Amino acid sequence: MTRIDSDVPLGPVGERWLKTRPAFDRGGLRIAAARALVVVVLSMFAVAALYPLIFTIFSSFKSSGEFAQNPMGLPASLSLTNYLEIFERMQVGRLLFNSMISTLGAMILTTVSALFVAYVVTKMNFPGRNLIFLFVISMLVIPSQAIIFPLHQTILDIGLGGSYPGLILSLAAFGLPLGTYILAAYFRSVPIELLEAARMDGAGHLRILFSVLLPVSIPALAALSILNFVWMWNDLLLPLVIMGGTEKTTLMVGVALLSGQYDISIPLISSGLIIALLPVVIIYLLLQRQIMSGAIAGSVK
Amino acid sequence: MDNGLVGVKITPVKVRKISHRVRRDLWVGLVLLAPGIGLAVGFKFVPLVRGFWLSLFETRGFEEPKFAGLANYERMFSDSTVIKAFTNTLVVVSTLPIWVFLPLVLALLLFLRVPGWKFFRASFFLPYMIAPIVVGIMFRQILAPDGPLNQALRSIGLGGLAIEWLNGPNSSLLSLVAVALWSFFGLGVLNYLSALATIPQEIIEASRLDGAGFWRMLFQIVLPMIKPMVGYWTVLCASGVLIWMFPLIYAMTKGGPGLSTMLPEFLIFLTTFQFLDRGYGSAIGIALFLFVAIISAFTVRYMYNEGVKVKKA
Repeated sequence: MTRIDSDVPLGPVGERWLKTRPAFDRGGLRIAAARALVVVVLSMFAVAALYPLIFTIFSSFKSSGEFAQNPMGLPASLSLTNYLEIFERMQVGRLLFNSMISTLGAMILTTVSALFVAYVVTKMNFPGRNLIFLFVISMLVIPSQAIIFPLHQTILDIGLGGSYPGLILSLAAFGLPLGTYILAAYFRSVPIELLEAARMDGAGHLRILFSVLLPVSIPALAALSILNFVWMWNDLLLPLVIMGGTEKTTLMVGVALLSGQYDISIPLISSGLIIALLPVVIIYLLLQRQIMSGAIAGSVK
Repeated sequence: MDNGLVGVKITPVKVRKISHRVRRDLWVGLVLLAPGIGLAVGFKFVPLVRGFWLSLFETRGFEEPKFAGLANYERMFSDSTVIKAFTNTLVVVSTLPIWVFLPLVLALLLFLRVPGWKFFRASFFLPYMIAPIVVGIMFRQILAPDGPLNQALRSIGLGGLAIEWLNGPNSSLLSLVAVALWSFFGLGVLNYLSALATIPQEIIEASRLDGAGFWRMLFQIVLPMIKPMVGYWTVLCASGVLIWMFPLIYAMTKGGPGLSTMLPEFLIFLTTFQFLDRGYGSAIGIALFLFVAIISAFTVRYMYNEGVKVKKA
């Protein structure tokens, strides 16, 4: 498939594995047959996990006629016809831009807001700080599906219907509880002496936050960013309701609406799917090491 | 007495200077809290309250809403569509053991370093990265009556199993759950792996010397040691099956055939945006919120304890 991190450092979890001796050879599953069986079963799971993607990639290179005759095999050629057509029909450039604007905007907004809240509730002697922390993280229990109409109404009321800020604010609000939790938990582990020293030098809160706390929180910020990028890019309901089928809608809504059109062929929609999933998969392959090291494990969403 | 930093002692001489600082810190704190609190209140709390308020109104299309008290809630109890949506949810919830144990078994095998574990780990997690709406459209094609799955089944002589996955009244809900599981099991594997990595190697070693087999190791040693993660993942999946399905239903079945894949989250969307029955849609929304809130309150409690506790660096 792709680069499976054979020569890159593995991060905390991976390192620990490397130190363990191969338990598998001498453990309960001693018998070679049992071991082979396990590999076969895992391979079946891997095929099940990868096949849908492979099928979609193959389909995306076929013409309609070719797909009808040979739906499962390799495509005859790597023809980009479908991709060119879908670029035109789905306005891929436009939607890609919209998805990027809303995802990046929401990531920045939610991270900065969470950073501030986490700082106040962990590093300042602010009255009622634990209650504030509880209030913010308890917003996690409100799913977008349950409040989608009144949320949409609220966005319309403040005049942000169908606009980037409307979507960005909503996405940011839904990312806030988890972001605040991750950063607050991380800030707790930063020793107070570090901040005290900066304080003695006369640094204000903002300087402490940005030039002392922020640099040591890079791992938490990286994990949070990966997490937010994936769900914000992939989310359907919020952009579907807030943007609908307008010029400013996201790639996911574009794909969803396109798949509902009666004249769309499987090869054509497949190329749209590949375009939609490519950015996240590229991020996954680039940051596999960080993701696998447990950076986003243990987090919600 | 407060210099704005937790845990820093100050001398009494500075008290006057400090009370000035306290007031300034209060302002700094308020300004820093404003964006976060604004987002939380404006885009989650206020809509929730408005949703509840709206659920007390009878609405029909674009007519003026009429206050109706709890009529919408009473209506839910006798509405076969709503009852079907929630009984479908129960069916989905009954698959929870698979959601909890399948990733655990896979994670333990990877943890014991099955040959090729790195490849397996990467392949298992890939589906989670793919947007659910994309997953749904992919599987709509794969599970089609003449799609690759049925063709493969026929070609290996299992034509009897080649059923209408998404169009059968009984198979469609289970197909939906299977696709959702496909989409999320990798996250479970990764979560379990991060918990397994905290088990001291000596313990695994000792159990092996005792001649413990895989299953005994799983149930008697590993499971008790990673109980918090198992609990966390169970709660996450329990609330997740209530709110993860929307894009999959949207892409694959639209709630059909009949109502066989109708779940509350999709019913809210339909009632509100297609039948324009906003008051009723809000009432179903509040019902869904209550279920999700009860389950994910456990997650919040865990997060609160973790976030308030001072950790050793």
